[in-house]
Amino acid sequence: MKNLWIQFFYGYVKMSIDGPYAERFLNRCIEHEITIWHIKRITKERMICYITLEDAKKIRPLLKMTSCKVSFIERKGLPFLLKKMKKRLGFTLGITSFIVILLLLSNIVWDVKIEGASPKVEYDLRQALDELGIKRGKFIYQLPNVEQIQKLVTERVEDATWIGVTLNGTTFEFEVVEQTLPEKEKLASPRHLVAKKKAIIYDLFVEKGQPMVRPNEFVNKGDLLVSGIIGREDAPQIVPAKGKVYGEIWYKSSVSIPLSNIFETLTGERKKSHYISIFQYDIPIWGFSKHTFERFEKVENDYPIRILKWTIPIQYKNVEWLEKQEITREYNKEDALKIAKEMAKEELRKKIPNDAIIKGEKVLHESVDNGKVELNIHYQVIEDIALEQPISQGD
Amino acid sequence: MPRITMIGQIHIYIENHRGVLQFSSKEVRLLLSQGQLLIKGEQFIIKTILPEELLLEGKIDQVIYIND
Repeated sequence: MKNLWIQFFYGYVKMSIDGPYAERFLNRCIEHEITIWHIKRITKERMICYITLEDAKKIRPLLKMTSCKVSFIERKGLPFLLKKMKKRLGFTLGITSFIVILLLLSNIVWDVKIEGASPKVEYDLRQALDELGIKRGKFIYQLPNVEQIQKLVTERVEDATWIGVTLNGTTFEFEVVEQTLPEKEKLASPRHLVAKKKAIIYDLFVEKGQPMVRPNEFVNKGDLLVSGIIGREDAPQIVPAKGKVYGEIWYKSSVSIPLSNIFETLTGERKKSHYISIFQYDIPIWGFSKHTFERFEKVENDYPIRILKWTIPIQYKNVEWLEKQEITREYNKEDALKIAKEMAKEELRKKIPNDAIIKGEKVLHESVDNGKVELNIHYQVIEDIALEQPISQGD
Repeated sequence: MPRITMIGQIHIYIENHRGVLQFSSKEVRLLLSQGQLLIKGEQFIIKTILPEELLLEGKIDQVIYIND
């Protein structure tokens, strides 16, 4: 009884022992190390017990010795089960094919649902999905995983700000958040336009209001640019000032980059191992040898198997090791300067509004020191410096 | 020398026996190195039997040593 599992594996039989001296047969069994268990006396001349299939073959000589007779009542365990399955082949095949079909169908895309999209966006999304091959009847394994789909789809559908992708059983669900353009600005309350920062006026375009400055004039932060008070002095009218005032602003930026850079790249060498993981335990099935990479990146991919809407705890998994290499890149001075300039410009672009124009740049200072290139650059940028300032009505 | 462990009336575990002399649902007689051991009760089942060990299950009423 100790390891019923092992006994189940090898098979065991229930047998009855008939004879006046069944005890003697028991003792013989023990002497020959034949395992029997769960012995029960039924009548004076009959006992019932269990014996492993293997040992059942060895008891014949013992029976002769003890003048007992044995008959097998029940056969249990895997070997008999297999025999039975062979006998009822149709039934077995039916069950296996049922499970296989269920597995296959559980891992096929059955439906693609799109929520929250206007007809146009939905059409775009459907088309993007078609291109990616996400449609009814596709195997889920052939498709990229949910995060990748989300990334690809968000890139392709331009009118959607965000697309959430979930795989719910066999249904792909897309939740779309559309870009909503800001509503038309309401007619604003009366206001002035003032300077956002210190600048030299480059150009101005006033739709409404009284311009107070001229090009090439210097303004400080907070200076009045366009007044909301128009009309004659004796009959002033207060309106919301509107317009664009472009000012030239000076930015200074300093960058320093090292002449030699160390970075890592992949060499292209790779090693893949395949696993079946059962309850998080990974059992290797292919690719046993260990990788010999000094530096590497490890990529793990899980492929869960679904049945109906559940995921079974057995899944396929592969792990890939990609070899990495350290590369040192050396710049000469000219290249370094060029890259430093580009970097500086990049930095600047982040700081200034999108519609700003870089009018000119001037290197103020450059030096090579301690293996580093240092650069100070001066930029002239033209941007809108108008800031709205309400006119308080109390005056 | 036998070593006998009992769990209530349900289980009796005997080490160092020398074979089964008699076994029925109400009585088990075991051979020891010296004398015999008689166990009386009801609904006996030998759960496991190994060369020197025996686990008996049932309702055990009496455990008797017979020396002769």
